[in-house]
Amino acid sequence: MSRLLISLLALAASGLALDAHAAGNAEAGKKRAYTCTGCHGIPGYKNTYPMYSVPRIAGQSETYLVNALNAYKKGERKHATMSAQAMSFSDQDIADIAAYLSTAK
Amino acid sequence: MRMLPLVSLALLALSPAAFATGDAAAGKAKSAVCAACHGADGNTPIDANTPKLAGQHEDYLAKVLRDYRSGARANAIMGAQAGNLKDQDIDDLAAYYAAQKGDLKEIPQH
Repeated sequence: MSRLLISLLALAASGLALDAHAAGNAEAGKKRAYTCTGCHGIPGYKNTYPMYSVPRIAGQSETYLVNALNAYKKGERKHATMSAQAMSFSDQDIADIAAYLSTAK
Repeated sequence: MRMLPLVSLALLALSPAAFATGDAAAGKAKSAVCAACHGADGNTPIDANTPKLAGQHEDYLAKVLRDYRSGARANAIMGAQAGNLKDQDIDDLAAYYAAQKGDLKEIPQH
């Protein structure tokens, strides 16, 4: 194997390691997600004004959840309660919550 | 009872809201383009960036599609898709995906 190829593989592996480091911790996320259960853990719970069912988010795609929380945090997605929650979360909190929710049994 | 016609009228007015207007079978027929990203069953999206739809609340799905259509929720892909949908299409698609079995559920109580 050429040295170049080995170097490239090493670079790719370090990239993966960084990715893995940024990934969420589901155990930490479970603690953070306690507040979420107040609405997203109650079957049939409704948002009011306007009235619609609060979405089911356990089992949801992990990156989608990260993006949704960041969109609320930045105000790109508007919902008073969700924005207030998301603004209190760090990037790590969001990664942790998404890791927990996407795998919650 | 003289009130009966009035009561019947009131019930009639309520009935569209009381009954789901979406037709899941019709929604399935309209779902081919959705399946390209969200998965044929609505539960196996092409990547973790794309949400699962199977088993999501029908009224929530319908609200989200209307928000994409109006631009209240901004997303280039979904805005373009939802822009083509009529109210009946949205209600049918929401009925279809809500009726599918998938991973989505309420967060377990801690």
